[in-house]
Amino acid sequence: MAKLTLDELRQKRAEAQKGIYLREGEFRGKIIVHMGTCGIAAGARSIVAAFLEELEHSGMKDIQVTTSGCAGLCSKEPMATVEMRNSPPVKYGELTPEKARKIFKDHVVGGAAAAEYALGIGSERGA
Amino acid sequence: MPARRIELMLCTGTGCVAGGALRIKEALEAELARHGLPDEVSVVPTGCNGFCGQGPLLVVLPDQIFYGWLKTDDIPFLVQEHFLKGRPVQRLMFMPPEKKERIPLLGDIPFFKKQMLLVLRNKGVIDPEKIEDYIARDGYVALEKVLTTLTPFDVIEEITRSGLRGRGGAGFPTGVKWKVCRSEKKIPKYIIGNCDEGDPGAYMDRSLLESDPHSLVEGITIAAYAIGASQGFVYVRTEYPLAIQRLRGAIIQANEYGLLGERILGSNFSFNLEIREGSGAFVCGEETSLIHSIEGGSPEPRQRPPFPAQVGLWGCPTVINNVETLANVPQIISRGADWFAGIGTETSKGTKIFSLVGKINNTGLIEVPMGITLREIINDIGGGIPGGKQLKAVQTGGPSGGCIPNSHIDLPIDYESLKEVGSMMGSGGMIVMDEDTCMVDVSKFFVQFTNDESCGKCSACRDGSDALLEVLTRITEGEGREGDVEFLEELGAAVKDASMCGLGTTLPNPVLTTIRYFRDEYDAHIKEKRCPAKVCKSLTAYWIDPKLCQACLICMRECPGQSIYGEKNIIHVIDQGKCTKCGVCFDVCPPNFDAVKKLSGVPVPSVERGIKVERKKRGKPEQEQVHA
Amino acid sequence: MPSETKQNGRVGAALVVGGGIGGMQAALDLAGGGIKVYLADSKASIGGVMAQLDKTFPTNDCAMCTMAPRLVEIGRHKDIEILTLSDVERIEGRPGNFTVTISRRPRFVDESKCTGCGTCVANCPTQTRVQPVEVPAAEIEPSLRVKVANIIARHKNRQGPLMPILQEVNAALNYFPEAVLKYISQETGYPFTHVYRIATFYSAFSVVPRGKYVINVCMGTTCYVRGSERLMDRFAETLKIRPEETTPDMLVTLKGVRCIGCCGLAPAVMVGDSVYGRLTVKEVAGIAKKYAGGNNHGKVNAG
Repeated sequence: MAKLTLDELRQKRAEAQKGIYLREGEFRGKIIVHMGTCGIAAGARSIVAAFLEELEHSGMKDIQVTTSGCAGLCSKEPMATVEMRNSPPVKYGELTPEKARKIFKDHVVGGAAAAEYALGIGSERGA
Repeated sequence: MPARRIELMLCTGTGCVAGGALRIKEALEAELARHGLPDEVSVVPTGCNGFCGQGPLLVVLPDQIFYGWLKTDDIPFLVQEHFLKGRPVQRLMFMPPEKKERIPLLGDIPFFKKQMLLVLRNKGVIDPEKIEDYIARDGYVALEKVLTTLTPFDVIEEITRSGLRGRGGAGFPTGVKWKVCRSEKKIPKYIIGNCDEGDPGAYMDRSLLESDPHSLVEGITIAAYAIGASQGFVYVRTEYPLAIQRLRGAIIQANEYGLLGERILGSNFSFNLEIREGSGAFVCGEETSLIHSIEGGSPEPRQRPPFPAQVGLWGCPTVINNVETLANVPQIISRGADWFAGIGTETSKGTKIFSLVGKINNTGLIEVPMGITLREIINDIGGGIPGGKQLKAVQTGGPSGGCIPNSHIDLPIDYESLKEVGSMMGSGGMIVMDEDTCMVDVSKFFVQFTNDESCGKCSACRDGSDALLEVLTRITEGEGREGDVEFLEELGAAVKDASMCGLGTTLPNPVLTTIRYFRDEYDAHIKEKRCPAKVCKSLTAYWIDPKLCQACLICMRECPGQSIYGEKNIIHVIDQGKCTKCGVCFDVCPPNFDAVKKLSGVPVPSVERGIKVERKKRGKPEQEQVHA
Repeated sequence: MPSETKQNGRVGAALVVGGGIGGMQAALDLAGGGIKVYLADSKASIGGVMAQLDKTFPTNDCAMCTMAPRLVEIGRHKDIEILTLSDVERIEGRPGNFTVTISRRPRFVDESKCTGCGTCVANCPTQTRVQPVEVPAAEIEPSLRVKVANIIARHKNRQGPLMPILQEVNAALNYFPEAVLKYISQETGYPFTHVYRIATFYSAFSVVPRGKYVINVCMGTTCYVRGSERLMDRFAETLKIRPEETTPDMLVTLKGVRCIGCCGLAPAVMVGDSVYGRLTVKEVAGIAKKYAGGNNHGKVNAG
């Protein structure tokens, strides 16, 4: 390893910050993939992988990909919920990795819900 | 680095490793691999999380879920449920004492809530063996700032203005020390980081090195720049192998990156850092003694002045700072002296790390702002005393400190207030004692410690501690005499006055404070031959209450000296002549019988042998309530 | 040096051996009572240990302030004769009337003429040099010599090499045989007394062999208030050795140590890399047996 100059150190820092963004705790949005047994059977694992891949390409540091249990609508699995700050959560169903990528681009990056895949907008808890 | 959705921050501090954290790590990795999750979920070994009483422990990020008391058997279930299916596992979460509901989130656990993390801001958030993690958390920003925009005098001025004082115990203003050294003409100059943390029950410095070694490396480099040193040492006690290993790794990485060594970050400043190990001598924590130890001389203190800042290592001006002090430095530089001075009290600025241990529910390492009260620390952070017992005293400052009684629980913690009540800040051990702790025994313990560790150079400390110990031992053995307490007070004052270094001048503190606040316990030992806490062996007897004994044979079987008489259905009786007072019977007697009693200050009632036990159902004594 | 006047079989002179503060006071008291006193000391001057002290315990008095008046008084007292550089060879006779033979070593200075100006001290060419003593070469086993020589070679050129050398040797051999310390002294140039002093100062070092396993019972404050002393007693009882001792078969050494920093696991015991936490007295025998192996020749049974 060559010795760093000031600029190289700053560059290194910017790079390293990408690696630990999960720990900083400030998120603009959250993608929840429902991973009950039904979800996993329907292929939710590949959906998670697709979201993570997109996230990595985008270089965004304030989006969290997480999983939760069964959402209750097993026939529409795999499902995911996208919650962006200051806008109601959107549930998407019958996902494929391709759909997931599009949702990421439209909704997470673009800010507009990908209406063609959306099952519903807003939470069932009435929030 | 591929994006992940979960990071598992697994504590690998010494405490958790001793509790099996490395086995947990293997199990986690194996289980994650089995589910094909390693790309999405990563395990990050961190330094000490602080909540040592819950170890081995794990924090799940970004959800901030805290799991404690992990066992390898729990791991498959945990991985399947939480990390695969996203359902956090209730039963592994933190259960507060005497409350029914578990607390899932780290931030909601009272132990973490009241803390303020400055020095330990990276604990549990970075992998201490990766310099990238530290750099990402704004590591080496302060060093950048110092090398590009500040002169050494600016740095000293900034540290002076921040009000930072030595965290090793005495609280000497750090800026002043640096200034004295800087103004010395002689070169070379040296900087030493003191991590010879000898106080029993204190492990802040170890934890700091284990969780965030780079903060020390950065701090000591800035200090070296300020005083004009090009060589530094960190003196670590040999009992801390993991801390040494992590610090060594950090120094190697920093050298590779050019953050240590020749012409740091392309500037004209060069600095070389080395580790020196101690070999188990408490007195080496004293600065002049530490210098002698590094030089390879006899590790005894010498008379000051001249202070090490003037004449130190190899006769050259040397600054010795505690490692916690040095770890504060990068924060002060990058966030400013005013920010730092805004935290704490009038005279004591910033935060202090304490190890909160002893008879307390939440054992662990805490960082709190100066000026917090003992009540907040013990009740809120510590979660109170186990078993609903009463707080008797808090011992701070290790063998040099004193015992603060229950009545001072609202004392705000800073250098001055602690001194006022006869104790001291010390390195930060905070040992909680409940009603089952004998204060005479505790002061004997500390004098035994200092007596053992006294280097023997000056007679006040060497012979004075001998004499103190002799009288204290006599008192705990029931041979105390009228006038002993006055003698202890007089001798204590003399040892304080006449000793040369900090070890001797502070060694009477535990004795003097316990006399000051717990005189009645001394009197009970001396006049009534009674140990109120029932700790002192010679004054305590074990006795089986014939009305409670269920003749279950357990104590008989366990008694190592075969000094319990009894048989099936016949009440057990301890032969007082044979009993060695090891206390095994007391430990093993089933809690619902609670038949073995400790007696002190009263004659042991004699119990006839061969009394038949009264009970309704045989074989299942634990379901009975013989004595309502 | 017999005295002359006999009275009832007793003679009127006394010999005080040792010219420290006690001897000086005794001489003054005797002389004050009218008795001729010989004050003998093996050193070149009287004064003893106190003359080397700064302050004295417990009153913190200045040592010289206590001594100086007595020194002057003795020097001027007509009935006190100081015999320095003197050794008592023989005492004959009975209490009250005896003859003492004293041999005096030469001072090479005519005491009757010397004014104590000190010029000779300042101008002595070998002033503070210690006269070389023939030290025989350290006898050390060849295999051990290689080991230790390697360690010394690694550290010899550092500043302050002694501690790192001793630490590595201690780690490699588990203790310091005397021959090894002598060898280190010979190779590093530190006097043997100094090396020995360092080797016996630190608790991590030992000059006696230690057992294969060292059972470290933590005696830190937290462990202590949680009952580690009772664990120690039980270990001692089970292993039939006292703390700091080793079993005769060299398997187990029992040791009380300072805080091992596992306060969350108090009371704790550390053996090698294994830590046993939250122990009770009941579990001690099992652990002790695991390492001591009872009578089954080191076989390890689970605790």
